[in-house]
This record gives sequence, C-alpha cells and structure tokens, in this order.
Amino acid sequence: MNHFTFSWGTNHIAVRGLLRTLGHDLAVPPRISPAIAERGIACAHPFLCFSGKLVLGQLAAQLEDGERRLAFMSSLGPEACRCADTSDYLQSLFSDYGGFSAHRLGGGNFAGALVNLRSHFGPQVRRRQCFKAYAVFYGKVDLLYKVDKRCTRLRCLSSVPEQVRELEREALERVDRASGPFALWRVSRWFDRAAARLPLREEPPSLRIGIVGGEHILSELDSIMAVIKGMAERGILLDWRSGFRMLARSTEKTLAPLKDRCRQYLQEAPSTSEIFSCAHALDFVSEGYDGLLHIYAFGCMPQTALKPILQRIAKGAGVPLLSLSIGDRFAEEGLEGRLEAFIDLLDARKSQGVLT
Amino acid sequence: MVNTGSSGTRIGIARSILHYEFDGAIARFLEALGIDVVLSPPTNQEIFQAGKRVVIDELCFPIKIFVGHVAYLAERDVDRILVPVVVGHENNHVFPCHPRSRLADIVRALDVCDSKRLLAPAFRFDRDGLSAEGFRAIATELGASERACNEAREEVRRHIGDHPSSSEGAQDGPTLGLVGHPYVVDDPWANNHVIRRLERLGCRVVTNPETVQIGYAPEGTGLHFALAARTVTLARAFDRDPMIDGIVFLLPFNCGPDGDIARHLTETAAKPMLTLVLDELQSSAGMITRLEAFIDLLQRAPVAAGGRNA
Repeated sequence: MNHFTFSWGTNHIAVRGLLRTLGHDLAVPPRISPAIAERGIACAHPFLCFSGKLVLGQLAAQLEDGERRLAFMSSLGPEACRCADTSDYLQSLFSDYGGFSAHRLGGGNFAGALVNLRSHFGPQVRRRQCFKAYAVFYGKVDLLYKVDKRCTRLRCLSSVPEQVRELEREALERVDRASGPFALWRVSRWFDRAAARLPLREEPPSLRIGIVGGEHILSELDSIMAVIKGMAERGILLDWRSGFRMLARSTEKTLAPLKDRCRQYLQEAPSTSEIFSCAHALDFVSEGYDGLLHIYAFGCMPQTALKPILQRIAKGAGVPLLSLSIGDRFAEEGLEGRLEAFIDLLDARKSQGVLT
Repeated sequence: MVNTGSSGTRIGIARSILHYEFDGAIARFLEALGIDVVLSPPTNQEIFQAGKRVVIDELCFPIKIFVGHVAYLAERDVDRILVPVVVGHENNHVFPCHPRSRLADIVRALDVCDSKRLLAPAFRFDRDGLSAEGFRAIATELGASERACNEAREEVRRHIGDHPSSSEGAQDGPTLGLVGHPYVVDDPWANNHVIRRLERLGCRVVTNPETVQIGYAPEGTGLHFALAARTVTLARAFDRDPMIDGIVFLLPFNCGPDGDIARHLTETAAKPMLTLVLDELQSSAGMITRLEAFIDLLQRAPVAAGGRNA
C-alpha cells in the first residue's frame, strides 16, 4: 500500500526507509516551488506559519494526484510546536477528499512508536519489526544529515563544486536504496572516501557564517535553503547544527547541556527549537564566526519569540545578525539581494579589521 | 487577607495576559501575603504604544500590550515587577504557546526594565489553574513562611469561579457566547469594547456557560496548546447550549494556535459564528458594521441558523 507525506528536505527518504522495512512504500513528495507555496496559502489560515503552508501545499498537490494515506513523523513532546496538533487539523482540512486519512508515526519512546505503528498498520506489527524500522529510519536520518553538512562544506572548500553536487545527488540515491543498517554503513564508507577524493581550493573561506532558525526551514532544500547554500560556492563557509536530525534525535540527555548553555537567555525553556537556535548562536559567537543568520518561517512561534533574544546575543557579542523571516511574499530574488547586502557588510567589517 | 501588615515591598503586576488568564490569582496571593501590589491600569492607547515601540512586529497583538504594561510599571515606584514563566501542564502534554511562555525572556531581551527588578517564578498548571510550586517560589523569594504561603493559596482558591459569566444586556435580544483568550475577552481595549457594543445592539453576552465548568486547560480535546483547548471546549459548550443564539470568536492578530482552530470551529459549529480578528489597526466603524450584520443574521434566520428558536 502506498503512502504519502510532506518533506522537510530529504527527510522523506528516512520515512520511506521505515515504511519499506514494514513492506510498504512512500510517494516522492513534490519539490517546494512557488506553485506549491500558493497551493498551501490558499488552503491555510493566514496565521499558520509559512512552513505549515508549504506542508499543506505539498499535501494538497498529492491529494489531487490521488494519494489518500498520509503518514507523518511527529512527536507530542514538549519540543513540538503546533504541528503536534496536525492529525486532527489535517482531517478537518482535507475532509473533502474521500478516503483521506492521516497517521502519526513516531512517538516519545519505543513503546509509543510501536503503538503508533500498530494503530496505522495493524496489530501484526511485531516489536522486532518496529525496532528494525526505526534502526533504518534513524540510520538514514543520520546519514542524510552527514551528506548535507559535508557537501555544503565542500561546496565552499572544493575547487570543483559541480562534482560536489553530483556526489550529493548520488549519495542521496544510495541512501534511499539502502535497505538495512549494514547497507547504510557501506554507503557511509563510500561517501567518506568519495568526499575525501575531491580536490580542494588553496585559499581559505572568505567568511564564516553560522545559521540558526526553524528546523523546517533549515531542512528545506529546494528553494529557500538552495539560495542560502548557494553562498557556499562563493567561498563562504556555512555552518548550522540544527534541522530535522536534531528534532528526531533529541533526548532529555542531549538537551541538558544545551539548556544549560542557554540559561541566561531562556528561563525554564521547554521547547527544543528555541534551545537549538539559542545554544548554537552562542556557540557560533564564541567560536568567532563573522556573522549570524537567523532564518525562520513567518508565524513560527518559537523562532519569533526567540528573535529579540538572538538580537540581544548578537548585540552583546558585536556580531552582525541578519534575521530572515520567510513568508507568503517570499521571492528568491529578494532573498538573494538581502544576503548579498549582508555579505558585503561582513566583508567590509573584516577588511577594515573590525573585531568580531 | 491572611497577613494584614504590609511588608513594605511593592510588586508591580501587568494587568494583561497572565493576570487575566489566571483570573488575578497571583495578585490575590501577594495581597494575602501582605505585599503591596501595584496593578498597571487597564490597557489604553499609551500603554499599547509603549509596547509596540519595542516589540518586534511579528509578535502577536497581546504580547505588545503586555510589554506596554511592563514598560508602564518600569517607570513607577515598584521594587519588583512580576512576570511569571508559565512552563506547561502538570501532565506534560499541554503547553502555553511559545511567546506566552517566554514573556520574562522577551522582557529581559528588550531591556524593558532592569533584569534585577524582574521577579520571574516558574509555574506549572492543571485544569484548575496555577499549581503550587510557583506560589511557593514567590513566597520563598519574599521571605514568607510556609504557613503564610498555604493560607494565601487558600485565599486564592476561595475566589476561583468568582468571575462573572455573563453581561447585563437586554433579555429580549439574542444571547451570544463570546469565546477567545481571557486576556482579550476581559480586556475591553484589546477587544475594542466588543461586549459593550453588543449590549448596545440589544444582546446579552455570555463569556462562560453557567451549566458547564470549562476550567483552565481542559483535557480531552487532544490539542497541544492550553488556551486553544479552552477555546474549542468553550465554543462546543456554547454550540450545545440551547440558550445561546450565536458565537463570537475573538482572534488576536497572528495568534497561531487559535488561527489553526478558527476554520475548524467555523465549519463544525451548528450555530452561526462570527470571527473577529483583533489587531492594532482595529476600526470601530468596521467592527460595529460586522456586529450589526451578525445580529441581523441571527434575528432574521433563527430557524436556519439553529438558534434557540429553531
């Protein structure tokens, strides 16, 4: 039986790996495009965050193509934003499509994940199957993150960025095809060797920019982040430490040191999205990055509440901060213009010897 | 009052989001401890502008009002300004929206007042409202004994449910259920005096159904956000109540959780429902026209609308 889902960048590959382990498959979500954004804007409430509108646009397009069985990965933990309410909301929104059903995968722990899988696929799902499905899912999440990070870094450092793009494309195909933990390990080794063979530029990066923001936007790759990551090929080293992987992988244990780092700025912070962005911004500042880029969806509550706090961090450290709120009127040209102005500012500061 | 002697400490409380949300419980607690509480005045244009000047545009309308109240208190003779940090439900499944849980951090980041003046105890909540630990933290911070704290909490509990549930409007006109977050329903400036305007149009306005105890953060809706759960529960109770002819939903600008449920409520309510988006550009003329049109609709088609005359 086929399923469909929305995509935060490449995360659908991990969801598909989970479903295939259970004998099912997943349709490839449509790429984020202006048409998809318009489709989402048309069916969403104006106050829904822009990420939510992109998600709805992807879902509506697939429903129109005849897909009916939505499987989505979401938890109900304190890190969840309004997407935690997604299931009932989607049922109400897409009730006109006969046969539409929305099923949450994932859960706060193994037992919760098993309950969700059984509610979706039936009581025949065994514990062992659940374990293997999640081993594949998390293995793919980790490998997809590694490929994305390493390739973005190589687009800055390598003298042949077109080969980096080709490597990334092939790596994603291999991750998608890998059917178990051992196959994933082999893909990981192949990727490491292929990446190590790429020739590097002689000159160091001209600037280092740390990126923080909403996980959905940071994981998006087709439009917004394609423009942002395009900066890498101009010799700018981009770094981000959040995204879908952090959401999927976070536990109270891994969050504790981040919460501790943010204590001065976030009192009793329950939400991981804010903790990631705040802690990583503090890291980038302490590591001497030339600038901070805060990118988030308009209407994203955690990131909007965090914006004045990031401004305070940047001001205190004397590091330029560009906050990019991506909303309904988003255009790639406008985004490029703002980024160029920001890069010019950072270049000027650096060439004039302004300490950052 | 438990402790009639004044401690000499003056604590400012913003007459805004959390004060309305928890029905003045913290102010009542402090007064019972003998603390001199300075409540900021009802919201007005000057207070709102003070908040708007410093708060980023994208944050919701009530946050701007709240920060305006804190800015007002920062200019007054108060020793501390109390901005509670509301963390989440005791069940760890229901939470306040992110900006509301970050009020103290936002106030600090915006330098609205000296951080040392800020008193920001963490609270959790349950169906009945704020739970004990935050009250204990305040009492400890202010040097009050455990006994005084318990007695003051008892004083708070005695007043739960004191809130008036309906207006004194005309008895022969339509009866309307008003849903929305307490800090817009109970703040006349924020809601552009909607209750008064409806009363002038001959309506009786009910803000809490007398037959059903809604409580704070009702469980069982499956929703993640406490006040969205309350809004849905309240709207459904009004929808079932045969005495209610129509529902008016107050939606503050850029409120994510209630924006998400607005369409669901409109589509699933059997009774006519009017959604009014409240923002800083609100026009009285526009609001009056919409209210008049809604009342006309109720009076002309009660049978089709499913009202009490149906």
